[in-house]
Amino acid sequence: MLTIIRTNLVRQSARTIFTALGIAVGVAMIVALLSFTQGLRQTAAGLVHLGGSGLGVFQAEVSDPTASLLPESIVSRMAARPEVARATPLMLVVEAVKPAPSAIVFGAQPGGFFTHGLVVVAGRRPATGAAELLVGERLAAQLHLLPGGTLAVDGHPFQIAGIYHSGIFFEDSGAVLPLATAQQLTGHPGLVTDIVVELSSGVRASTAAKGIEAAFPGTQVITDPEQALRAGANGTLISKSILVIVVIALIVGAISVANTMAMSIMERRAELGLLTAVGWSPLRVASLILGEGVAVSVLGAAVGLLLGVIGGNLLVRALGVSSYVAPSVTAWALGRGLLVGVAIGVLGGIYPAWRVTRMTPLKALSGT
Amino acid sequence: MSAPAGAQVSVEKVRKTFDHVSALREASLRVEPGEAVAISGRSGSGKSTLLALIGGLEQPDAGRVLIDGVAIWERPHSAETRRKLIGFVFQRHLLLESLSARQNVEVPLLGARVHRAERRRRALSLLEEVGLADRAEHRPSQLSGGERQRVAVARALANEPRLLLADEPTGALDSVTSERVLDLLFRLRERLGMTLMVVSYDHSVGERADRTISLIDGKIDPTAKPLFQH
Repeated sequence: MLTIIRTNLVRQSARTIFTALGIAVGVAMIVALLSFTQGLRQTAAGLVHLGGSGLGVFQAEVSDPTASLLPESIVSRMAARPEVARATPLMLVVEAVKPAPSAIVFGAQPGGFFTHGLVVVAGRRPATGAAELLVGERLAAQLHLLPGGTLAVDGHPFQIAGIYHSGIFFEDSGAVLPLATAQQLTGHPGLVTDIVVELSSGVRASTAAKGIEAAFPGTQVITDPEQALRAGANGTLISKSILVIVVIALIVGAISVANTMAMSIMERRAELGLLTAVGWSPLRVASLILGEGVAVSVLGAAVGLLLGVIGGNLLVRALGVSSYVAPSVTAWALGRGLLVGVAIGVLGGIYPAWRVTRMTPLKALSGT
Repeated sequence: MSAPAGAQVSVEKVRKTFDHVSALREASLRVEPGEAVAISGRSGSGKSTLLALIGGLEQPDAGRVLIDGVAIWERPHSAETRRKLIGFVFQRHLLLESLSARQNVEVPLLGARVHRAERRRRALSLLEEVGLADRAEHRPSQLSGGERQRVAVARALANEPRLLLADEPTGALDSVTSERVLDLLFRLRERLGMTLMVVSYDHSVGERADRTISLIDGKIDPTAKPLFQH
């Protein structure tokens, strides 16, 4: 049976290749989107745990966590709460570094635990009141920056006092300015994007979240990456987009396979008639057709997996958004891609296989 | 190979119409086990339709076809009946071009889910029987017309049928090759004891058969003079 399937697919190699390529594109989209989502999840984890914090407090009902704006005045009240050990405000400045548009510039209090947690690997910390900043090691490597050099943020030049390492992808791909400077640059004096909170010992994040949200109405406490993804409209959009694309890929792929197999059946009526004449049961002939459909789909899915992994990375680099999203390919993402590929084969093969079972051997043999 | 006994065939008042054209009209016939019957008739007289109905390739509109006393369309699966009882040889050899001669002979055995090693053994033995042992791994395109038809004969015998139906098996062959293929068919029938029914315009088929029946306008006419005489 496998020999017959293989030889039939090889015999119609051009048709097999084009059908497989169609499926490959669908599977590639699914794999790329899943790896983007996984990357976003990791990015969101970085956003939640900025500065190694336990949780982040954002404005509720914003389209994206980076669009949040909170009054700086609540920081001291928040820090005074029993479940909070330390709290420090952050202002996130996005798309402000021209040569690296995905880099985030963090406005942070020089005395806050966020700034203190940065390990300076070259140069020194910025001097008080000077137009200086710290640059993350990934951004420094990307733009070939050194202490003593300059980096323009939102068009304003700042001297690079030092290079830091934090171990968090987001932070290492960005830069750190004093909070007041960041507020000035964004035109939001007295406002911050979020407040990162270090919990008191023994306090559970969920318990603290409930307390903070009750004490500060209009805020949203994010404790895990999934929550961060859900909080942002973009994350939800991507999750829904994946579902839509999976369904579209299934429909388009299945129609493509069904069309290929139906054409193949028309051309091979006599051959299929012969199989039934020599005693193959309709079910067995149908399995042959179904098997061919699945084989094309698996071939397409395999190519699609490869395209998805390579294409996803290339796309992120081409769009210059590698600091926001680093595609992360998991076995589950690959497995889902493969599953969709096989499902396409099965769904697409059902109708042609059914048609075969309806043909009488004599009609098939005569090719009418 | 064990020698299967021939099957008894009874055709009872069978009618078949294709697109308002009557191919068979109340045709009746009885063939005894092991008998070799030639079926003659002009083009369009219903010869091939009769063979197709006997082989279960098509269902009659009326009447019954019985193999060993059991109506073929009343059996649980007509495919199973074909697989277990009937072998077909067609005018066009209908070999699968992408498979070798041996693999083509194995096709019916694949439908019967015979184990790979056994399939191979039986296919090679049958190819030896039809004189093509040295061509086992050749593709149909690498074989002559006569060789392809001999492969088709080997394929028809793969499931050790008790009834061999041949529809103009020499129709596409030259006279010398036709003789060889007919020699083969009748020799195998002699040796294996199966029932043989051959539709043919070839006079030598009638000469070799035990009996010749003639079809005229979809009816078997026992009084009609066949196209070829014994």
